[in-house]
Amino acid sequence: MKTYWRSIEELDNPKELRRAEVREEAKQKSMLMKGDSDLNGSSRRDFLKTFGFGIAAASIVASCKRPIDKAIPYLVKPAEITPGTANYYASSFFEGNEYGSVAVKVRDGRPIKIEGNALSSISQGATSARVQASVLNLYDDARFKNPSKSGSEITWEKADKEIIAQLSELKSQGGKVVLLSSTIISPSTREIIRKFTEKQTNTEWIQYDPVSASGIILANLTSFGKNLPDSQAAIIPDYRFNKAKVVVSFGADFLGTWLSPVEYTKGYTAARNLQDGRKEMLRHYQFESGLTLSGSNADVRFPIKPSEEGAIVLALYNAIARAKGAQVLSGVQSSVDISELAADLLENTKQSIVISGSNDVNIQLLINGINQLLGNYGQTIGLDTPLLTKQGIDEKTDRLLVDLKAGNIKALLVWNANPVFDHPKGAEFADAIKKTGLSISFSERKDETTAVCQYILPEPNYLESWNDMEPKTGIFSLSQPTIAPIFNARAPQETLLKWAAIESNYRDFIQNFWKENLFPKQKESADFRLFWNSSLQNGVFEAVQESKLNYSSDGTAQAASRIKPAIAGIELVIYESIALGNGKHANNPWLQELPDPVAKISWDNFAALPVEYAEKNGLKNEDVIRVNGVELPVFIQPGQAKDTISVALGYGRQVSGKVGDKTGTNIYPMIETENGFRKYFLSSVKVDKVPEKVIHLAISQTHHSMEGRAIVREATFDEYLKKPVAGNEKESEDMANSHTLYKMPVYNGHHWGLSVDLNSCTGCGNCAIACQAENNIQVIGKEQVRNRRIMHWIRIDRYYSENPENPKVSFQPVTCQHCGNAPCENVCPVAATPHSEEGLNQMAYNRCVGTKYCVNNCPYKVRRFNWFQFVKNDKFDFASNSDLGRMVLNPDVTVRSRGVVEKCSMCVQRIQEKKQLAKLEGRAIADGEIKTACSQSCPGNAILFGDLEDPESRISKLFNDPRHYHLLEELHTLPSVGYMTKVRNSKV
Amino acid sequence: MRKVNLLPDLQLRLKTLISLIFFSIFLISGNSLLANISDEEDNSASEHQIHEDLQRGERFFKGLLPKDRKFETCVSCHTLHESDSLNWNPSAMDIALKYSGKDFTDFQSAVMEPNGKKMEASHKDFKIEVEDLKKVKMYLDQLAVTGPPPPGPTINMIIIFVLLGLLMTFSVLDLIFFHKIKYRFISVIILLITLGIQVYMIAEAAIGLGRSPGYAPNQPIKFSHKIHAGDNRIDCKYCHHLAEYSKSAGIPAMELCMNCHVLVREGSHSGKFEIAKVVEANETKKPVEWIRLHNLPDHVFFSHAQHVGIAKVDCKKCHGAVQEMGIMKQSSDLSMGWCINCHRQTKVNFKDNAYYDKYLKLHEDLKSGKLDTVRAVNIGANDCMRCHY
Repeated sequence: MKTYWRSIEELDNPKELRRAEVREEAKQKSMLMKGDSDLNGSSRRDFLKTFGFGIAAASIVASCKRPIDKAIPYLVKPAEITPGTANYYASSFFEGNEYGSVAVKVRDGRPIKIEGNALSSISQGATSARVQASVLNLYDDARFKNPSKSGSEITWEKADKEIIAQLSELKSQGGKVVLLSSTIISPSTREIIRKFTEKQTNTEWIQYDPVSASGIILANLTSFGKNLPDSQAAIIPDYRFNKAKVVVSFGADFLGTWLSPVEYTKGYTAARNLQDGRKEMLRHYQFESGLTLSGSNADVRFPIKPSEEGAIVLALYNAIARAKGAQVLSGVQSSVDISELAADLLENTKQSIVISGSNDVNIQLLINGINQLLGNYGQTIGLDTPLLTKQGIDEKTDRLLVDLKAGNIKALLVWNANPVFDHPKGAEFADAIKKTGLSISFSERKDETTAVCQYILPEPNYLESWNDMEPKTGIFSLSQPTIAPIFNARAPQETLLKWAAIESNYRDFIQNFWKENLFPKQKESADFRLFWNSSLQNGVFEAVQESKLNYSSDGTAQAASRIKPAIAGIELVIYESIALGNGKHANNPWLQELPDPVAKISWDNFAALPVEYAEKNGLKNEDVIRVNGVELPVFIQPGQAKDTISVALGYGRQVSGKVGDKTGTNIYPMIETENGFRKYFLSSVKVDKVPEKVIHLAISQTHHSMEGRAIVREATFDEYLKKPVAGNEKESEDMANSHTLYKMPVYNGHHWGLSVDLNSCTGCGNCAIACQAENNIQVIGKEQVRNRRIMHWIRIDRYYSENPENPKVSFQPVTCQHCGNAPCENVCPVAATPHSEEGLNQMAYNRCVGTKYCVNNCPYKVRRFNWFQFVKNDKFDFASNSDLGRMVLNPDVTVRSRGVVEKCSMCVQRIQEKKQLAKLEGRAIADGEIKTACSQSCPGNAILFGDLEDPESRISKLFNDPRHYHLLEELHTLPSVGYMTKVRNSKV
Repeated sequence: MRKVNLLPDLQLRLKTLISLIFFSIFLISGNSLLANISDEEDNSASEHQIHEDLQRGERFFKGLLPKDRKFETCVSCHTLHESDSLNWNPSAMDIALKYSGKDFTDFQSAVMEPNGKKMEASHKDFKIEVEDLKKVKMYLDQLAVTGPPPPGPTINMIIIFVLLGLLMTFSVLDLIFFHKIKYRFISVIILLITLGIQVYMIAEAAIGLGRSPGYAPNQPIKFSHKIHAGDNRIDCKYCHHLAEYSKSAGIPAMELCMNCHVLVREGSHSGKFEIAKVVEANETKKPVEWIRLHNLPDHVFFSHAQHVGIAKVDCKKCHGAVQEMGIMKQSSDLSMGWCINCHRQTKVNFKDNAYYDKYLKLHEDLKSGKLDTVRAVNIGANDCMRCHY
């Protein structure tokens, strides 16, 4: 059997690691015991004191009157609102270049949870962790409460008057105005901007993305732009992973952060799904430097230096061109043998996808060439619905900076962009903006750019506003307000309409826009009102038109000649963080505390070093190195390519709010620009150790040791084809040996269970945040995460196996297993955790006295103890320490207090809600009607909830699959949570 | 060794006990001391005049003046203190607040030219000089600012508790030092009895913590469930119309009251005063702030839909004889034991709801006669996570 290891320390010396862990635990415990007085001398007097006080308190409290609660009814009850019952509204999320079609759960007027919208062809019911956490951004104290001018409050009327006067003066003088925004995918907003620029003729609109897709867009412009206007060919094509059999990715983390990860994960896992006896499986090759989420899931992974990428892509192009009889291009030679990969691709023409995350237009041109030779366009890569979520071109912002510095721009309007933080020359931007005559920010919350802007005209949160979106050409969706604006904010669209002297509110404008432009594109409804209402209810409207794009190989040969050879020396790779994206969500405590899926580190970015390098240079975790002058904490990352260091963007915010400020280091200033394109790696970096300095990291990697037992079971695809039970032989053995003296549990009606398909779990972390939002799980901060007290009810264990230079990675979501024969239940001295009639392992918080016996006796280590009061406590100054932040709490779930144990309840509130509905309607519960928070929005469809008592249910079928097994089934705990083996499709 | 140690230990205990008692006494007396301090330092003549007028107004209101009074006193209907039974007439405080911002003429016409049958009947014989009525208005205006006078002291449990404590202390002191009581066993009995009562009181109080059966606060409107649900037989679910579908039974929106009160503007008991509040709330768009009675702790999930909509439990079963309640009161203690007992007894309508079709084992047991009826407890109604999650 394979040996799995969790960290380098464990691989090297498992015994020493365990010893260190025990020492650490003992230290923690001794800290708890320590008080002011010694233990012997205080007991009697203390007892008397407490006893006396207790009596006094009891008698005083008993004679006190109960607090008076008010019950205030509606004056006029809105017809659609039922107090105590949630409503769902379809809406759309778009922030930080990430799109998600969502259903917003609104309970008694407050949005409290985001679900994926199943009607959208992009989201397909799923979300990412960032989308899940976005509901907390609504209740962020860092949001602007009023419009302001130079730091002091101003009324909207006054601001409008002053700005309109200045703009018209600039117009008459011919002074240039620039509207700098992040990518805008709202068609009606684009129309408003067009109208505004018509009125304010001297205005230029620049779209700016901190991590742009310039390389892809401009490469496609060359490949498809022949005889076409730029706007039609400058596209990001639509990758359809569900149709692919082979995927080759060069450094693109398409399951984590690249372009549209949720959609790609849906397609990717669908193409790898082996449920119901499916015998086909996508094979995934990944070339990359740091170990990304995509790399962790790859069947074949090649650790390479980023500067090697070009040569490898060229070699692959030539290998395929040779086989296809196309022209072979000359250029630098590759160091990696790709002949097998090329053969695999050639076997699967029209059924493969080759992508690159590089921002180098030459590499992207070669990638286009490869896809064209393989016949992928129109098959696995669609051109009719190009992705519109990244439209910024790096060069334009760089030119803007030059103009700003030269004083050519008289007024700058910043909308949803933060160049002072996320542009490589942010400091120069700050100085230039300060010198600009008129600077206006529409930012919703404070950031580095608002700090230097004159006027701040805050925009409402997306949950408070109307909007429409076109994430892909022809695929539209709507946003609608789900709560009245909490603060005095106004949609920038309304502001621009006002400044352009157009009398309309934004909602009417969208409606008219849809009436004129989208209504004619459909035939289902004859009446616009019906069309509008159904689009609003569904959240989406699709009207796809055929593409007119044709490939031309122009520029490919030239691109090949421009590919540079690999460079010697250490290279720094810069990537987007899974939790924080490009840094926009830095003030969101849920995301800050979400451990990186691979490194399992939260609250910081870090320099991921290759194992060999660290050993050679005597570096260990939490040491500090200086990379080109920037100090970073060291984390030794198995799988990190030789001579590379990886570090994440998004950290190191200075002006973001109480949570995000000063966590980690800002890496944006290190990014270099080459030929007008941002380059996300640095060659020949200078690395030296900072002696005797330590930066502590909140590593949850060595949490929850499973002590090397067979908990992740896996097989290769070939083995699986021969024998579906491959890798899972132990299951039947364990079950045969399973005997018990205890009575087997009997279920009368339901027996709820979860099934987790390890082959579909990519480890993205969405479930952890979905669970956190649903179940009021508290954020505990870096210090407590370091103390191994992270509260997440579902954690995703990550195991490595085989070679530490390039390990195989397995992800395993672990939640309470709801054992039929639960070890926790029979050790509780106060019966706070009994078993339910429906197979749930229950937790009654008000009964719990905090002995933690259950925590110790749980073999899965899924129980969490509230070491502190995390709500209304200044020591834990996160969302739950303010009235505003607590508005996100789910009223159906108790907020746990100090001293009690908590754990996964299998979303019992959702079970009860649907059961009640079924009973009211006098019908049986349909299979799939109840979804737990983790299963609802899982982008991989890895988690399934259902009734194990119903032999026809989907989960019962999965529990009878040969790949099904339980965690530690040899202990005879009879879990209600089952797993399915992981299958790897690496060619032997 | 042990004997030596016993004495200081006992002394220490006594010290603690005594200091505790003194502490409690201090707490109580401190409170009343604070309450007695008032500001009576009006020196100037005009202030003296005002003071006198106010006093005269108060006397008129309370019926001490005029001396030859033949009509009912104001205070007999418009009480100063809140009462346990429903007093239909607006309280003094109610009137004071309503007219505090208005002119004397409004007040005068309201009093002297009664509007509505009920008020006409009670104000029929009322005679008062205009000057005196002005003073009454002054007094009421003053009342609106100061609020109702504090209620007199009542002997509550804490005083009994302290007295018992004193008695206990005395018996202990007597046992050890004074030896005034001839027979020691009497002291011991006193000690045991007082201690027993105290323990009982503490236990009762502790069990009752957070529970409040019989809680019947005065509501901002004298809304009588007896009139609505009892006399007029309005169905509970006409107003609390969410009870069958939602977790919350729903407090009716103010507009719902207007369905009837758009026509019904005068009550047979309350006259126009109370109903006018409902109309006013609708006109001023300020909802009435009711005092909440039935308040389960935050960690308890309760759904009306489950009980009323599905199990068809009669409202009275938990809320008592609401149709007889002038002032709404909490009739059950809402304790967990009370919930659980009901779940043990309540039969489930197992056959008529298709939801239960999947409970195959229970259906079999019913057929074979192993079970005579399925009760709520059989389908897990007493599981922790039915109510606590």
